[in-house]
Amino acid sequence: MKVRAENHAMDCLTIPATGRTPGVSFDFANGHLRMTGESYPDDVAAFFGPVFEALRGFLDDPDGGPIRFDMELLYFNSSSAKALMNIFQMLETVAKGGRPVTLTWCVEENDESMRELGEDFAEDLRHVVFQMREMPAGGPP
Amino acid sequence: MSFNLFAAEEEALAKARALETRLGALAPDCLPEFRDLIAAFELSTREQQRLVRVSDRLQGQLNDAIHELDRQRSEAEAALDHLREAQEAMVQSEKLASLGALVAGVAHEINTPVGIAVSCASHLADATQAMRRRADGGTLGKAEFARYLATAVDTTDLILGNCERASQLIAGFKQVAVDRASAVRRTVNLAAYIQDTLVSLQPKFRPSGHAVAVYCPADLELDSYPGVLSQILSNLVMNALTHAFVDGQPGGMAITVDCPDADTVRMCFADNGRGMSEEHSARVFEPFFTTRRGRGGSGLGLHIVHNLVAGVLMGSITVCSAPDLGTSFTLQFPRRTPDRDLPVEALTM
Repeated sequence: MKVRAENHAMDCLTIPATGRTPGVSFDFANGHLRMTGESYPDDVAAFFGPVFEALRGFLDDPDGGPIRFDMELLYFNSSSAKALMNIFQMLETVAKGGRPVTLTWCVEENDESMRELGEDFAEDLRHVVFQMREMPAGGPP
Repeated sequence: MSFNLFAAEEEALAKARALETRLGALAPDCLPEFRDLIAAFELSTREQQRLVRVSDRLQGQLNDAIHELDRQRSEAEAALDHLREAQEAMVQSEKLASLGALVAGVAHEINTPVGIAVSCASHLADATQAMRRRADGGTLGKAEFARYLATAVDTTDLILGNCERASQLIAGFKQVAVDRASAVRRTVNLAAYIQDTLVSLQPKFRPSGHAVAVYCPADLELDSYPGVLSQILSNLVMNALTHAFVDGQPGGMAITVDCPDADTVRMCFADNGRGMSEEHSARVFEPFFTTRRGRGGSGLGLHIVHNLVAGVLMGSITVCSAPDLGTSFTLQFPRRTPDRDLPVEALTM
């Protein structure tokens, strides 16, 4: 699968969502990162490779300001779950270094198992501020 | 003892911690790096547990989706069954309705000759009474007797002719009705059979001044299902009467039969009515397609015709129409219907 990424001097990374891959909007200039939609890519490396590369470049900048990460995925497969855990560990590392990081785990109302997964995923976050946010149900199935 | 999926990992960690203590005594400079390794292994184990839960959750969602799909499929299948039953019931009631129309038509048709015979007989009876009185009174003249004889010959001719007509009608109707109800295969003269069928439909089109012309070789014999033919003709006529003609204006219909080759019959049913658009003519054979929903159209008449031609007669039917240029249906079928294993009753459904 080909992913069309718009990459303006690393100010932002925008990948539109498809049926199987999530929407990525990393606004590096304002420190606001979002992932939306559903994630079960055919080729995990091909999709997450560029995402991780851009993210690493952004997190390595020693003068970076606060970071807000919104996890708004409604559905993800096991590989995407591992990719998310890796992203969270990267965020945890910079937060430990003193950079303020807020991670918002968004769940549709009534999606109890997704809420439990969020709590589970937050288990290893000591320095990242983790919060849960409810969204109205009825997004894409 | 409770089952622990990650017992081996926990055991390894316990060993690592024991090693950590010994390492603290033996090589304290290695200790921080070793602790990092333990932390990484702990993290990895937690991630593994998390992934197992993610995977189980996905499997659960998949199962839910499959069950939901199963449920929807059974629902859809049940709905389809109901629809089939309803369709079958409608086709049956349509068949009954057309048989009912046939009975009403024939009753009306027989009424005329029987009525004439009754009034002729009554007239003859009156005249005979008068003759008897004259004869009893001895006042019967020769000229009067001659007049009576003339009246008797005329009226008995009329009575005989009309009773024969009624008897023919009943015979024709009986045959059509039996054929319709039983779908019996037999040899039949097509021209005569078309006439028999049209007779039953006369009351439907005669009051409005519509007429049907028949052009059919007099000696054309079919070995087929005449009841089915009768139903086809009757549906075509009723369809034309319902749709083709502007109210109050007499229209014309024509049935033209020829044989493109010795084994094939081509029957064309045409009207000079208002015709229809291409969009409508493309859909006339679809079940439940009607432009008169709620005004007596079931949308089944031509669908039944199509099924009978294709299914029972093993032929084909096409329609040709354009607005204001009338409509014609052309049926082509074998003169001798090929033998088959299926019971015809199953096909006429």
